[in-house]
Amino acid sequence: MSGPTLYVVLVAFGVVVGVASGLLGVGGGTLIVPFLTLAAGFSQHSAEATSLLVILPTAIVGSLALRSRGVGNLGLALRFGVVGAVASVLGALLALALPAMTLRLVFAVFVGGVGLKLAYDGLRGDTPSTAGDGGLRS
Amino acid sequence: MASRLQSLALDPKLLWIGLGGGLLSGLLGVGGGIVMVPLLVLWAGYAQRDAHAISLGAIIPISIAGIATYGVAGEVRYWPALALAAGSIVGARIGAGWLARIDERLLKVVFGTFLIGVAVLLGLR
Repeated sequence: MSGPTLYVVLVAFGVVVGVASGLLGVGGGTLIVPFLTLAAGFSQHSAEATSLLVILPTAIVGSLALRSRGVGNLGLALRFGVVGAVASVLGALLALALPAMTLRLVFAVFVGGVGLKLAYDGLRGDTPSTAGDGGLRS
Repeated sequence: MASRLQSLALDPKLLWIGLGGGLLSGLLGVGGGIVMVPLLVLWAGYAQRDAHAISLGAIIPISIAGIATYGVAGEVRYWPALALAAGSIVGARIGAGWLARIDERLLKVVFGTFLIGVAVLLGLR
């Protein structure tokens, strides 16, 4: 893909990423990076850098939209995120010293297991963690 | 639950999840949300909907740290980033609107399916 076609596809894909981000509370890098490397021919590093720059405005717009609807607590989330930001810098430094493939596979198993548990809970109608939050979003 | 959300103080679990989520995010280059949302729900006991909202807000400082430390300057392709962001900003408002309304059971199923997909992608990569 190149030229105008690429840009039309990028905007359309951006909408999909944005919906996933706003609905699921994820940054969207998981979607953007493979797309840019596989479909648009970006290098891994270039895709990750570009992805970071897309994630920031997406998270800001989504968070403001959620705040205006009274979902969650943005002030708490930002404080929580600052802790995460410090840790992510440490993680990036650690990544240089550890075998990436092993880490990735362990993580894939973790994510897959959690996904199965959540989907199972949802299908079974068992949502213990939501008990008693009736007044939360008012 | 409600009083906890109204407080800005970080309880210890939140602190650990922030540390763990950020560490994994930096370590593996994956989004923190994939780690933080499950931990907020399954370990810290947040409601599914609130966990997603808190995760999205937390991604703001985490991505700023990423931009600041990643050496983004030389590698970003600005026009594609702009095109993606133009779409994702519109999408984020739509998605946030859905998150505010969606049935929490359906949200669990959708997110669980998303995680399984991510796990497969990670395994294949």
